Amino acid sequence: MQKIELKVGLFVTITLLLIMASIGYVAYKKDMFSKVYTYTLSSKTGENLTEGMPVVFWGFNIGRVSSLELIDQGVLIQIKIPERHNRVIRSNSKFVLDKPLFGASRIVVETDNLNAPPLSPKTVSEISVSNDINEMIKRALPIVDKADRIMANVEQVTEKLADPGGDVNRILKNTETVTANLADPKGDVNRILKNAEALTARFAKKESVLEMAVGNTESVKSVHEALANVRDITVRIDKILAKADSITGKTGEEIYGPDGVLPLVRDILRDLVAKLTKIDTTLDNINKVSAEAVDSTKDLKVLRSELDAAITAIGNLAEELNRKIPFKAKPEIKLP
Amino acid sequence: MIRVTHLMIIRTLSPPFPTVCESIMISAIEQIGRVTLRTSSSVGSTLSFAARVFLRMFERRSYNSASRMVLINQIYFTSVQILPLFLFVAVIFGAMVNGMVFQLIKKIGQTDYLGRLLMGFVVMEISPFVTVLLIALRSSSAINAEIAVMKVNRELSTLEIFNIDLIDYLFVPRVLNGILSMVFLSSLFSLVVLSIGLFVSSVIFGTSVDAYIDTLLRSASLLDMIIVWFKCAAFGFFITLIPIILGMNASQELTSIPVAVLNGMVKVFSAIIIIEVLSSIVRFI
Repeated sequence: MQKIELKVGLFVTITLLLIMASIGYVAYKKDMFSKVYTYTLSSKTGENLTEGMPVVFWGFNIGRVSSLELIDQGVLIQIKIPERHNRVIRSNSKFVLDKPLFGASRIVVETDNLNAPPLSPKTVSEISVSNDINEMIKRALPIVDKADRIMANVEQVTEKLADPGGDVNRILKNTETVTANLADPKGDVNRILKNAEALTARFAKKESVLEMAVGNTESVKSVHEALANVRDITVRIDKILAKADSITGKTGEEIYGPDGVLPLVRDILRDLVAKLTKIDTTLDNINKVSAEAVDSTKDLKVLRSELDAAITAIGNLAEELNRKIPFKAKPEIKLP
Repeated sequence: MIRVTHLMIIRTLSPPFPTVCESIMISAIEQIGRVTLRTSSSVGSTLSFAARVFLRMFERRSYNSASRMVLINQIYFTSVQILPLFLFVAVIFGAMVNGMVFQLIKKIGQTDYLGRLLMGFVVMEISPFVTVLLIALRSSSAINAEIAVMKVNRELSTLEIFNIDLIDYLFVPRVLNGILSMVFLSSLFSLVVLSIGLFVSSVIFGTSVDAYIDTLLRSASLLDMIIVWFKCAAFGFFITLIPIILGMNASQELTSIPVAVLNGMVKVFSAIIIIEVLSSIVRFI
C-alpha cells in the first residue's frame, strides 16, 4: 500500500510541478508579472478595431488593445504596453491602424526619436488609418487602364485577322503568292536561278578573265598583238644599246665630249625611259584592264595609239642614231 | 352481384381508412412522448445524481481515511499503471501529428500558423480527446463492471446496511480520480506532444528552441488553457459518473452486467461527444 501511495504521490507531484511550471513560464513570457502601462488613443470610427488586437513596433508585438469605448466624438482605444516595451512609446510616437490586404488589422507604433520624452498616459493620441486594400486599388488602377488598352489593341488585331481584306490577311496572301512562285518551276525565282546557272556556265566556258570582261575575242587578240609588239621593241632596244656600247668603246671623245654622242644618247635614253615608263603604265593599265575586267575598248584604242606613237618615236630614235653614228659613212647629198 | 355483396361485407367489418391513419399517428406521437419522457427522466436523474456527487466532493466528511485510500488506489489504477503505455502512445501520436502538421505547414508556406495549429488543434482538441478515449476504454468500463458486479452481489445493499455512504466511499473517490487523472494525463500528453514538436521542428525547419517556444507562446493564452482544463475535468467527471449510474441500474441477475457495461460505454461515448461540442461552442462563441 505504501508503494502505491509513493507512486501516486510522485505522479501527482511531478505532474503538478510540470503544469505549474508551464503556466508560470507562459505567464512570465506574457508579461503577466510585470508592470503594464495603459495609453489611450482615439479614432473617428471603430471599424477594424477589436479588443486584443496587437500593437506592433518595428514588426514586433509590444502590446495589445485592452478595451474599446464608444464616445460622442468617436471611439476611445486603450492599449496596454508592458514595462519592457514602454521605452518605444514617446511623445512623438504616431499610432497607425494598419489594415493589411491579408491578415488581421493591427496598430503600428511609429517613433522617429526614441530619446524624446515619454508619452503621458493622460494624453489621448489620435490614430491614423493605413489601408493596404485602397492603396493596392490605387496602384492597380493604372495597370487596369493599361490592360484595357492592351485588350483594345488585341481586339483590333483580332478584328484585322478576321477581316478578309485586312493587313494581316493581305500579308498572308502575299506570302502565299511568294511561296507559290517559289514552288512553281516556271516562276520568277526559278527563272532567276536558271539565268544565274547559265551565266556561271558561260563564265566557265571563257578562257580568261579578260575575255569575260571585254566580251569578244578580237579585242583580246589586239591586246595580245600590242603586247607582242612591245616585246619586239624591247628586243630592238636591247640591240641598239649593244651597238651603242660598242660605239662608246671606239670613240670615247666623240661619245664623252660636250657635243658627243653620249649626252645625246643620254637624252635619247631619257626619252626612251620616259616612253618605257609610259609603256609600263600602259602595261599596268592592260593588267588593270584584265584584272578588273574593264569592258571598254576605248582604252584599248588609246593604248594602241600610244603604243603606235611609242613605236614611231622609237623608230625615229633609231633613225636618228643611225644618222649620227660616226663610223657609218656620211650620207652623200646628191645634188640635182 | 355476389362480389359486390362481399365487398360491402368487408367494408362493413373493417374500420374506416381515416380512423386507421389517426390511430397510427397517435401511437407514433405516444412513442415519441414516451422516449422523450424516458430520456428526460434519465438525463434528469443523471444530472441530479451528478449534482449530488459534485456537491459531496466539496464536503470535508467525504474524505475520510477509507475514501482517501480508495482515491489513491483509483489514481494508481487509472493514471500510474497506464503511464508507460500512455507516454508511449503520446510519443507515437505526437511524432505522427507533428510530422503531419509540420509537413502541411511547410507545404503551404504558412509557418505563422504553426503555433496556432499546435496550440489550437493539438493541445486544445487532440490531447483531451485521446486521453479521454484511453481512460474511458480502460477505467470507465472497469468502473461500470465493478459497480454492476457489486450490485448483483448485493455488496451495495450490504454497505448501505452497514450505514456506509455509497457516495462518499464509492462514488466521490472514483469521480475525483476521473477529474484529476484527466487533467494530469491530458497536460502530460500536451507537454509530450509539444516536446516532440520541438524535436520535429528542429529537424524539419531547423528552428531553434527559443524560436519554437516563442511561436507557441504567441498562440498560447491562459484563457484557452483554463477552458481546456475545465473540459478535461468535465470529461473526467462524466466518464466516471455515467458508468457508476449504469452499473447501479443493473438488476440482480449476472446477465445484466454486460448489458449495463454496454449501455454505460455507449452513454460515455455520447457524453464525450456532447462535451466536445459544448466546449467548442464555448471556445468559438
